[in-house]
Amino acid sequence: MWRMAGPGDRSEIAIELRSVSRRFRLHHETRTSFQDWFVGLLRPRGKGEEFWALRDVSFTLRRGESLGVLGRNGAGKSTLLKLVTRVLEPTSGEIIVNGRTHAMLELGAGFHPELSGRDNVYLNGSIYGFSRRQMAERFDRIVQFAELERFIDTPVKHYSLGMFMRLGFSIAVHLDPDILVIDEVLSVGDAAFQRKGYQALRDLKARGTTILFVSHWPELVREFCDRAILLQEGRLIDNGPVDAVAAHYERMLQEQPTDAEILRLRAVDEAGTVLEAVPSGSDLRIEVLLRVPPGSGEGLLLALDLYDREGTHLFGSTGRLADIVSSASEGDPAAQRVQAVIRGLPVAPTTLTVAATLQRPSEAGLAAVDRQETEVEVVAPWSAQERGLLRLEHIWESEPGGTSRGGRAVPRVEIER
Amino acid sequence: MASQAVEIIQYRSLLRNLVAKDLKVRYKNSALGFVWSLLHPLLLMVVFTFVFTQLLDQDTPAFPVFVLTALLPWHWTSTAVTAGTASLVDNAPLINKVYFPRILLPVSAVLSTGANYVLGLPALFLFMALFDRAFTPWLVFVPILVLIQAIFLTAVVLILAPLNVYFRDTTVLVDVGLTAWFFMTPIFYSIEWVVPHLAAWMYRINPMAAIVSEYRVIMYSGGVPDPLFTGRTGVTALVLLVIGYLVFTRLNRNLGEHL
Repeated sequence: MWRMAGPGDRSEIAIELRSVSRRFRLHHETRTSFQDWFVGLLRPRGKGEEFWALRDVSFTLRRGESLGVLGRNGAGKSTLLKLVTRVLEPTSGEIIVNGRTHAMLELGAGFHPELSGRDNVYLNGSIYGFSRRQMAERFDRIVQFAELERFIDTPVKHYSLGMFMRLGFSIAVHLDPDILVIDEVLSVGDAAFQRKGYQALRDLKARGTTILFVSHWPELVREFCDRAILLQEGRLIDNGPVDAVAAHYERMLQEQPTDAEILRLRAVDEAGTVLEAVPSGSDLRIEVLLRVPPGSGEGLLLALDLYDREGTHLFGSTGRLADIVSSASEGDPAAQRVQAVIRGLPVAPTTLTVAATLQRPSEAGLAAVDRQETEVEVVAPWSAQERGLLRLEHIWESEPGGTSRGGRAVPRVEIER
Repeated sequence: MASQAVEIIQYRSLLRNLVAKDLKVRYKNSALGFVWSLLHPLLLMVVFTFVFTQLLDQDTPAFPVFVLTALLPWHWTSTAVTAGTASLVDNAPLINKVYFPRILLPVSAVLSTGANYVLGLPALFLFMALFDRAFTPWLVFVPILVLIQAIFLTAVVLILAPLNVYFRDTTVLVDVGLTAWFFMTPIFYSIEWVVPHLAAWMYRINPMAAIVSEYRVIMYSGGVPDPLFTGRTGVTALVLLVIGYLVFTRLNRNLGEHL
């Protein structure tokens, strides 16, 4: 049962869960069409496999506190968030929420691509129960924070990913929630936006907003949270001060590395030295260090994606891990090193975000196993009169005769063994 | 149930925005957007008029008005049922991310298609003027009929929308069902042409038959609507709404898992 505390309830408790459990029936067992249903009448099947995403979880979160939720993929973190935000109902147990909750489960959820940024601000506000007048009071601050003054009347389908997320984030932090639920929303997007976003969250926290923060990065949880809980296979196995719980989680990760993970991602030169910056037009070498425990490498894919400062997706490439890794290095038998080389990086000076994602095919498409990002500063190689996002190979020609060559920039990706 | 009513009032700006969004998106991509939305019933009017007055030599006077008085409300029914049935599945990404009263999605589908219908009524009045049909004071009953139809359509989509989540081929059945329903409703024929003992049953089991006949009495015949008959249709619609609401709340519970 989900229950909102009454307006007269002045208790110090923001969120309380009392032995909450949530069961799912596995999807391939449910009938999703009348056709299946009729077939089922003729040939009855079992009741369907059950799966408990959360089992008997209890904890309380006091006002103004921030609680980190740690756990591996599939430990029940997302289910917990969906229960707290009422997207799902618990199978048993009770959830009490005291105050206005805002969930940042996905930035820009509910934006309609055909509508302008302005219309979407009002539409999004009303999804969270805000009236037109309440949104009008906040409108200027939202637009200013998102740095979208010039584009606010443009349909959001023309926005870059970065603009889209800035607007979604800005709306979320300006709705003055009593309780903010965050699911690693900031782990995508460009670095400048991330810094600004984290600062905004710190401000909200300083103003006494209760925060429920889900992450599988213990460092982030340490930075943002006072307390943490640790979930494993749907059960709450630790609850206490953030340092103790985060340490517990890290021990757990080291003890039983059951799935592949990305250990390190960075830009390097040919000798393997880390680079903070690369000149536009020269080769970009990206090194990914992976840990693939025996037996977990089956079907794994490694995706590399490049984003510019605005969050524009510049390039992405996916390879089958089995084809691209050379095994064994640095003593750890499961550690593997992959390098991707982009010849003559055809990108104009910007802050490049490089994302590496380990994926595995699942029923719902591709499931991310692990993801890491790093930043590379792309700098101008020489003072050329060039503008725009790309550096294209070009030649100035004039009559009669005489040519002068511009920068060489042939996009080409090679993956080295 | 009372707390749910309070909640819906609290979210009324969402309902308004959802309706506004539907209308804006529908009309946005072309200057003629609104005209296009009228094209479907007007085209059917032309086809039926040709078939019945030229091919079949029917002698119903002012046949275009006769058929349009029924085609416009029918168009509302068919667009509302289609959009309403798909409303939950279409908004699955939103439903899985944010809590809000989901009942607003099918309701907004009925209201935005209804706004479209009301905005199209001047076209009907134009044809009434062209074909010299009487504008009687009984036209004040039209808003009551619109309200009854809105209640009835809400009841229908409250059942179909969650059903479509559990059985994704509901939309296919709804498509077929709408075609059958169209023929079983006195749209291109009059209820008076129906064998009498079946006409009574038509009114009983198909509220659209009653609603369409009432529109026609007022706007085509210039007659007086029967208040008892209208009242009975209204009560039927309200009873169906309560049933639809109960079905919706029941099926809504596990919706998140299936979307």
